[in-house]
Amino acid sequence: MSSAPMLVVRPAESRDLLALERLAATATPRLTNLPPHRDRLEERITRSQRSLRAEIDFPGDEIYCFVLEDLETQEVVGTASLRAEAGAREAYYTYRQETLIHASQQLNVRHEVQTLALSHEVSEATLLCALSLDTRYRETDADSLLRRARLMFIAQYPERFANELAVAFPGYLEVRDEHVVSPFWDSVGQHFFDRDFNEINQMAGVRSKSFIAEVMPPFPLYLPLLTPQARAAIGRENQRHEYAMQEMLAEGFSRSRHVDIFDAGPLLLAERERLHTFANCGWHPVRIRPAESLPDAVPAMVANQRLGGFRCVLARYALTPTGQLMLTPEQAEVLGVEEGRAVLAVPMPLPAVDEGEL
Amino acid sequence: MRIRPIARHDIEGLKVLARETGVGFTSLPDNHEFLIAKIERTLAAFESREQSEDRLYFFVLEDDSDGSIAGCCAVEACVGTDAPFYHYRLGSLAHSSVQLNLHRTLDTLTLCSDHTGDAEVCSLFLREDWRRDRNGALLSKVRWLFMAQFREAFPDKVLAEMRGVFTPEGRSPFWECLGSHFFPMDFDEADRLTGMGQKSFIGELMPKFPIYTPFLSESARAAIGQVHEHTRPAVAMLKKEGLRWEGYVDIFDGGPTVEAYIDDVRAVRDSQLARVELIEGNAPVTDRPSIMASTLSMADFRASWISHAVTQVSEGPDEGESVVCLYRDEAERLGVSAGDSLRVLAG
Repeated sequence: MSSAPMLVVRPAESRDLLALERLAATATPRLTNLPPHRDRLEERITRSQRSLRAEIDFPGDEIYCFVLEDLETQEVVGTASLRAEAGAREAYYTYRQETLIHASQQLNVRHEVQTLALSHEVSEATLLCALSLDTRYRETDADSLLRRARLMFIAQYPERFANELAVAFPGYLEVRDEHVVSPFWDSVGQHFFDRDFNEINQMAGVRSKSFIAEVMPPFPLYLPLLTPQARAAIGRENQRHEYAMQEMLAEGFSRSRHVDIFDAGPLLLAERERLHTFANCGWHPVRIRPAESLPDAVPAMVANQRLGGFRCVLARYALTPTGQLMLTPEQAEVLGVEEGRAVLAVPMPLPAVDEGEL
Repeated sequence: MRIRPIARHDIEGLKVLARETGVGFTSLPDNHEFLIAKIERTLAAFESREQSEDRLYFFVLEDDSDGSIAGCCAVEACVGTDAPFYHYRLGSLAHSSVQLNLHRTLDTLTLCSDHTGDAEVCSLFLREDWRRDRNGALLSKVRWLFMAQFREAFPDKVLAEMRGVFTPEGRSPFWECLGSHFFPMDFDEADRLTGMGQKSFIGELMPKFPIYTPFLSESARAAIGQVHEHTRPAVAMLKKEGLRWEGYVDIFDGGPTVEAYIDDVRAVRDSQLARVELIEGNAPVTDRPSIMASTLSMADFRASWISHAVTQVSEGPDEGESVVCLYRDEAERLGVSAGDSLRVLAG
């Protein structure tokens, strides 16, 4: 344990701006909700700080921006955000996959036709978004910590968030002639905007996605009229996000009928009470022990109970027979807790997921 | 050659036509009961003169040398009243945003029944051996004379559906790109069912939302509003009468529907009544006849080419009266005698 890097997830501060800019620029693929645009990012940090200071009784247009810091190098190596209400200021647009049944009694025919219809249905959900992580930490515990620490935050401040949580994954992209292209965008959005995927993504980042969605044609699209490549991309996550997607499915999210309007990436939904983290987290008084005397145990996420000073670290799920959680002095210091104070802890391992059943 | 309403004894001749028309000619399927019913509908319309909406006036072109049926044509008085009548309307949707510096106009195809209640000229077919001596023009134009004569039996507007583009192998690019996704059957079957009047399935199976044409294949887009090469002369003839394509296309093959206000159709406007005067002898043979005449009675309606145009009496008690001179064989063909009146169209 002592050799593992000390990692913490905390709210973003003004001094993190450069790191955020770097993370936004290196996100693969580029994220519309994390544009490498200094003014936008600065605004996001300010909004996040304002949200943390505000008295909130129910979710609105708050945004909470977190960073992952490696305390060994004091470097910010990741970021992730929460939008309390996905469509608070505008509508949150998705394409919803629907099935129309065209039936004729006269011909004894029943024919199913798939469509994609613009939808605002997810607008009231809380959105987990804008996650970018330094590639050195990909698919490690740091990746999981950054992704799931947000659930620990929601668990502590449920009144600030919706019951329904949503997480959107970047869609399937291809490299063609050294250009990254979205087969879905090429078959759908391109017709309406005459701009390539990267251009529109950039515009959406600087302005907003719903701003562009408002110009999307209002009628449902018939799937049989899309190219086979575009159809195959519907609900398919980006290759670089397969691991993250599997983790969120294991956490308890389910695939939904909603996909992204630009690249058709999948949107996962969950009632928060059904998530592993919510079902298994619990408050434990802290007991501080030297690192070398801590028993072996499964990894755990541990969070303090401060709003503006929120900290979530990786530790061991090492409980005393009386239910106290054993932390090293370093961990306790990062969390800002003393012996006897309560922390929220949950074991990291997730149940295996069998997508065949979904 | 003369045009007359179809009669019961024409059933065998009609079957020959039906067999020769083939795919893409939806209104004349080779089906005995269906053809019988068509004749009965026509008889009801001609004889009873009742003003039910669902009236069909079906004509045959008869070779008066031996009585054989050389072709046919028809007028539906009022489409879409018994079964729905669908088209795609080609429209456009502006799509713009100042902030995005975006201004595009996309073409859309929207399912509609805008032509419900209009008259339709349809079912024109001429057998191979008679494709000469302007027999085709006679079949096409007789309908305008008929509508001009019985104007009150028809609504304001008239339309004609033209056959769309097919490949040399007989495949419709429009159907393959669009219809085939919504109709679990092949084009011929869908076409046959429509011809049989079983049209409600179209509404049940068709896409209800507009189709953005950029989503269609290039060949399907190219077929929108285009006619089969064999149909070009027919379209040209209708366009000369003033019919225009206003953006309506067939939902199966994408072929255009041309339309006009009946009162604006050139032949309806220009035809005139004239009193018959007989002249001795038979008409000289010509392969470019240009004057057409039809009788004024509905039940005994006849039409044919004649030799002479209408003239005005220049002196005497009948000065100023319109007169048309017929040779004896022309008068017999039309079943008129001196002193009767005819409706005459020149050109």
